[in-house]
Amino acid sequence: MVNVTRLALAVLAGLASTAALAQDKPTLTIYTYDGFASEWGPGVPLKAGFEETCGCTVNWVAADSSIGTLRRVQLEGETTQADIIVGLDTAVAGEARATGLFADHGLALDNLALPNEWTDAQFVPVDYSHFAFMHDTDMMPEPPRSFEELIALPEDIKIAIQDPRSATPGLGLVLWVKAAYGDRAAEIWEGLRPHILTVTREWSESYSLFLDEEVDMVLSYTTSPAYHIIEDGDETIKAALFEEGHFPQIEVAGILKSSDQQELASQFLAYLASPDGQKVIPTTNWMFPVVDLGDELDPVFATLPQPEKTLTLPEEEITANSRAWIDEMLAAVQ
Amino acid sequence: MSTASISAHLPPRPWRIRAAVLLACAIGLLIAAVLGAILAAAAGEPTAPMRADIWHLLRMTSIQAGLTTILSLIVGIALAWCLNRLRFPGRGLVVGLFSAAIVTPGIVVAFGLLSVWGRNGWFNRASEALFGAPIGNIAFGLGGILFAHVVLDAAFAARVLLARLDAIPDARLKIGQSLGLGPLRRFALIDWPAIAGTIPGLAAIIFLIAFTSFPIVLLLGGGPANQTLEVAIYAAVRQDFDLRGAVLLALVQIAACSLVILAASALPPVPTALGPSAGQRWRDRPAAQAIQWLLLAICLVAFVAPLLAVLADGLAAGFGVLGQPTFWRSAATSLTIGSGSALLSVTLAIALGMGRAATDIPLLRTTLGLPVFAYLAVPAVVLSFGFFLLVRNAGIAPGTAAPFVVVVANALLSLPFVAATLGPPLDAIARTRGKLIRSLGLSGSRQFRAIEYPLLGRDLGVALALAFCFSLGDLGVIALFGTQDFSTLPLMMYAALGSYRSNDAAAIAAILLVLVTVAFVGLPRLLERLAHARA
Repeated sequence: MVNVTRLALAVLAGLASTAALAQDKPTLTIYTYDGFASEWGPGVPLKAGFEETCGCTVNWVAADSSIGTLRRVQLEGETTQADIIVGLDTAVAGEARATGLFADHGLALDNLALPNEWTDAQFVPVDYSHFAFMHDTDMMPEPPRSFEELIALPEDIKIAIQDPRSATPGLGLVLWVKAAYGDRAAEIWEGLRPHILTVTREWSESYSLFLDEEVDMVLSYTTSPAYHIIEDGDETIKAALFEEGHFPQIEVAGILKSSDQQELASQFLAYLASPDGQKVIPTTNWMFPVVDLGDELDPVFATLPQPEKTLTLPEEEITANSRAWIDEMLAAVQ
Repeated sequence: MSTASISAHLPPRPWRIRAAVLLACAIGLLIAAVLGAILAAAAGEPTAPMRADIWHLLRMTSIQAGLTTILSLIVGIALAWCLNRLRFPGRGLVVGLFSAAIVTPGIVVAFGLLSVWGRNGWFNRASEALFGAPIGNIAFGLGGILFAHVVLDAAFAARVLLARLDAIPDARLKIGQSLGLGPLRRFALIDWPAIAGTIPGLAAIIFLIAFTSFPIVLLLGGGPANQTLEVAIYAAVRQDFDLRGAVLLALVQIAACSLVILAASALPPVPTALGPSAGQRWRDRPAAQAIQWLLLAICLVAFVAPLLAVLADGLAAGFGVLGQPTFWRSAATSLTIGSGSALLSVTLAIALGMGRAATDIPLLRTTLGLPVFAYLAVPAVVLSFGFFLLVRNAGIAPGTAAPFVVVVANALLSLPFVAATLGPPLDAIARTRGKLIRSLGLSGSRQFRAIEYPLLGRDLGVALALAFCFSLGDLGVIALFGTQDFSTLPLMMYAALGSYRSNDAAAIAAILLVLVTVAFVGLPRLLERLAHARA
């Protein structure tokens, strides 16, 4: 038994040490969430693209969620290995900024193509999409066109949403309802309650419920249908556009003050927000690029219906109130 | 078989007791270090107002866990009773499949349940086709949580209890048969004494699993109304970064769980039958047999159908994932981690169990019973943060430490299940073979090789299979460790789900399930054969 244990430990040690090979090139360590760094995500082509010119090694370190990357850096403080965090979004940017851990990026960013003007000194946009409810045209040919129409549907029309405390779209929906309805938000949540089949921890669980036809609609993104069209040739999954307008998720990246490679980190962010870096985003992360890619954008993305109105909330208001708004939502749907 | 004290029979084994005490202290210190590291990290943070309503959560969680425990034990005993009496081709596979549920990642089982019982599941579609109306959606809400838990836990209970029933000595059965005992008297006089010793430990485990259950409650719970303490702790840590609040909630959970554990481990041991029975056939009356077949059929539909659904979904999805190098790397890592933590877990369980069996002092027995439950009592997200901080404070790169942390954490995770399998037989050996061991003048190590190992053979196999399969499934503890090259099958499955790749996820889920079932059917047989070859 002892020998087997030793052997197993030796194998484990071998597995662990492959990541720690000595390198003479500088290493850029980037924290991100698991999906971004997975083999299907944008991490792989971005690493290859940047390493072509930077004379460096890009090391993705994936926590289990985007909020997890922020928590890890908060735990590590000044001693963090991370140079950059990729994958926070505008809903938590205020909280992240308040930690004082992020440095100014110093980039001009003058060729962005976002729904709203971008003036953030610390965070660089990575990709964006609007939150929206998906429906399957075979099951639901005529989707609701507003929260109020959704609420008015028969109670056996079910939706799946995500917990705002653990999933970024869940928080996005809280902000969306707040931006659209203000003081009436609690009323909207109470109206939605009979339709909510379940509130899942992750986006992926809700989305699987939708694909398994356990729910009629699921909270996701206006760009989600692109995956099904491009990868499966399935055109039946569509985003329902609401008349109130839609709240966007803009994913961002920021440089840590504690990084000793500010110059290299800044170069990476410039690459990330350039057409070269952006062209890999749409068909790997299934979000819109933050610059105009012209012909390089898969034509399917141009056919996706987009909301006429983009809702926003000031960052200070989100940071100050998101806890209270989440509590309001939780109380209303309980 | 009397409940005679062991000191009259077994020679004193001070080293066994010392080793067990040392291990128990080490596990206790590890948990204390985890909580201490988090509190130290929280020292500089401002105190946030606690958002969770602790009493409401405790009440809700206890009701849910209590109901789960009672239902699971009733169903588990009934199922073990049926399986012990009935013989049919494929019985071994059915037993393996029943046990597979509990070690399969919870989310896989939950989706399997939905494939069968959900709105668009097999039953609703069949009912719609046959009667023109669906039977409705029963898989969500408190009912859904209970149902999913009973599927997981009752099957596990049945597996453990069946091992005890199958080990009832032939002599007892022969006496019972010659007395012409009816099915009810037979259960009360022969079966119940054989399983009674196992029930408190089982009840404690099931209660704790349900108390701390995470993915199932969140997926099937229907919303924030059905929460557990563990979910609230998760929210405090992840969303609010309220570390002090999280440690406070964790202490509440540890206190609540400790009450259950103390109650279970303070009970005096009940002698358990040992080793395989020659499988003498004694059939119950036809009426009782009919009930057994009916119960088994219902359980098969309820428990095995969701797993078959996972397999069917995997087959339908195709196995394109096999062509990806990451899949093979993840599979290799999963198998290595699984083997490492299975060996560690079984070693810990044997050491603690032998120490416990070697003493009659109630306080010592209770103390040695406690650390087994460490992982169930401490919330995974707290362990995850704590382990991360410990590793960092020790100056080790998280990526390098990740595999070792997973092995240790997974060994602790499976320890309660492994100990529940190995503890009662070890106790029984000390009580029933003590005299023999003393008269032969066996040393401690000879006692293990000549008596314990051969008698434990099959149970060791079950324990190894349990520990191995649990370790294939759990990764919560390295959520923050974030290593690029370190992936396992469940991790890859989640990554696929998160990237719209539901086909790949379905295929990986099916492969995991096959692995788990093979381990469950194969390892007990292999170990039994090995043990007997040596005996």
